Amino acid sequence: MPPSGPLARPAARGRLARQRARTAYLLLAPALVFFALMFFYPIGAELTTSAFTGVRADEFVGFGNYTRALTDPAARHAFLVTLRFAVGVVVVSLVLGIAAAMILNQRLRGRLVFRGILLVPYLTSVAIVGLLWRNILDPELGILNRLLGSAGLPEQNWLNEHPVATIVAIAVWQDIGYATLLFIAGLQGIPETYYEAARVDGATPWQRFRHVTLPLLVPTTVFVSVIGTITALQQFALPYLVTDGGPGDASDLYVFRVYETAFGFRDFGYASALSYLLLIVILALSIVQLRAGRRDHGA
Amino acid sequence: MHLSRRNLLRLGAAAATAGPLMTACSRAPEPATSNPGTFTLYTNAGHAYEAWKQVVAQFEKDHDVTVSWQKFQWPDLQTKLQTDFAAGTTADLVEQPGGSATVGLAVSGDVRALDDYIAKDGKALGYPDDWQAAAVDSWRHEGKIYGIQMALTCNLLFYNKQMLSQAGLTAPPDNWDDFLAAAKALTKGDVYGFAPNQDYTYSHPWLLQNGVRYFNPDGKQLLTPSPAALEALQFQADLVHKHKVAPVPTASNDYSGPQKLFSAKRAAMIITGPWDLKPIREGSPDIELGLALPLRKTARATNLAGAGFFIPAKSGKPDLAWDLLKRIVSLETQLKVSKEAGLTAPRKSWAESTEIKSDPVMKAVADALPFAAPFDAGLPATGKKAEVDAAYKTLYQEVMVSKKPVQAAVTSFVDAAKRAIG
Repeated sequence: MPPSGPLARPAARGRLARQRARTAYLLLAPALVFFALMFFYPIGAELTTSAFTGVRADEFVGFGNYTRALTDPAARHAFLVTLRFAVGVVVVSLVLGIAAAMILNQRLRGRLVFRGILLVPYLTSVAIVGLLWRNILDPELGILNRLLGSAGLPEQNWLNEHPVATIVAIAVWQDIGYATLLFIAGLQGIPETYYEAARVDGATPWQRFRHVTLPLLVPTTVFVSVIGTITALQQFALPYLVTDGGPGDASDLYVFRVYETAFGFRDFGYASALSYLLLIVILALSIVQLRAGRRDHGA
Repeated sequence: MHLSRRNLLRLGAAAATAGPLMTACSRAPEPATSNPGTFTLYTNAGHAYEAWKQVVAQFEKDHDVTVSWQKFQWPDLQTKLQTDFAAGTTADLVEQPGGSATVGLAVSGDVRALDDYIAKDGKALGYPDDWQAAAVDSWRHEGKIYGIQMALTCNLLFYNKQMLSQAGLTAPPDNWDDFLAAAKALTKGDVYGFAPNQDYTYSHPWLLQNGVRYFNPDGKQLLTPSPAALEALQFQADLVHKHKVAPVPTASNDYSGPQKLFSAKRAAMIITGPWDLKPIREGSPDIELGLALPLRKTARATNLAGAGFFIPAKSGKPDLAWDLLKRIVSLETQLKVSKEAGLTAPRKSWAESTEIKSDPVMKAVADALPFAAPFDAGLPATGKKAEVDAAYKTLYQEVMVSKKPVQAAVTSFVDAAKRAIG
């Protein structure tokens, strides 16, 4: 005879929970299989490949590729160039993103149109953006120098003289709309009562921004900086399209070097090790940023 | 975290399911040629000539196959090939930008040697006797031939006849001194006497003209003799930075900058090859184009360029591939392609044909071809050509664009190249 009354309830609840869990796993199964096949399996395979070298990645070297990467001047150079690029993109995106969001969060006529315009570069293919700016900035044939020349201003040669800064500017131009949109959402989540209280206490606009807006934007700032850092460290298309890593190796970004190592030099093992080192750096930086953000927000 | 027995069993079941799944995934796919009715052909994206379309159509008809003709830009084709080789898939016939790129693949066993086919059909095809010697040698590795040259081109001097005439020059320059004098005379306002290319391969003719060897397998020496290499690189840098008769080339993956300046009448002379004929003629039909022999310093020389075909080692249809290759490199097809697109060919009979001799532009290229030599001879066999070329690209752009002292740039290059070669 089955138990009845209060004793039956936990058992029934347990059955229900198991049924729900089964349903949940069933619904998740396609996504889990997709991720297993398309992400986790290649990640695992790449870890294995990183222990080999040679054109066919069939010569076992253990951690040899990792030690090689740490002493490879080209890899070190590419990493440092990429760090400069990432810092530039993230810092400029944060400053301009917050500034643009503050402006576009005002009750301005046509602000929706401006928000839309700001998003257009983000929605444009990076191939188009790269080639567009490559042609605009060409010192001899580009339209920018024509305009500068006709205005009597000195001509620029940024692609040759400041290649990393130029790519930073193009990357920021493309992604600033996305950062701005996130900051606008963050600003709209700040209750108006905080500003009213600050005004009552006699806070100036700068004090309201410094002590109300900025602290309450920390979660958005952390999100934008983490995503921006990850994206910037993995940047490939812009140096490939705009400068081809040049002049010389001046804009030889890390993932560009990984690509060249794999598909140009035919060393998939070493390229895999370089990729794993980047993954470790990205994970470490993301954890540091998230922890710092949590501490600041808590404070 | 506590792991119950039930959860442990679940994890075990999941692992048991995932294991074979991953094994199945890790197995290389069947070769692309496994479909008996399909033949896969890779060519350059710009080489979809009408003459080739006719050849392919007849080939499909004769062998009852469908040709899957896939077209790529050169860099993308190299990426595609590396991916194919890594995955175990392959095309049946592949176009390559020259023999040296193919020898690099032959070193790793990815290319089929063609000697058995050549022994059987070479005489009827005219191979190798009807081919320029350099166009045969560049496809050779350890005594075997790994591909057939289809187009043979070289860099030579393109000049604007009207501009030279207006500057009082009655003939194009013949040597470096003449060239510098002409460039100075032609530079006025925003017009440059010469426009150098940012692509490092365009610097090769200068080095060859000064007797420089890029790679010497004996002792694995690079850029020798060194004083001649320094002089050739310094001469090019001086055109830009000292004499200011040429613009600073802009680093990019586009080699068409000088052609665009020439077409826009912003440059009076460029060093390029027949691949720039079409854009110049179409973009600026009013330009009176002149082609001159490669320049001379210690020797008149230029670098060998062009394209050819190889059969991948894993091709499932090598006999068909050889048949299509023979049709593409036949004299009849090559003359049609020359007429259609200005492509120049490696056959001696092509250079001697009345069609070519009666075309002044084609004749100029044909006259220059005997001076062409491969710049990277011996290097592809090391399997490290890509690394050395990447280091040379850095050297060239640092000298030409960033004004790095030539001696320091060459030292950095030699160090990097020696590290790669070992």
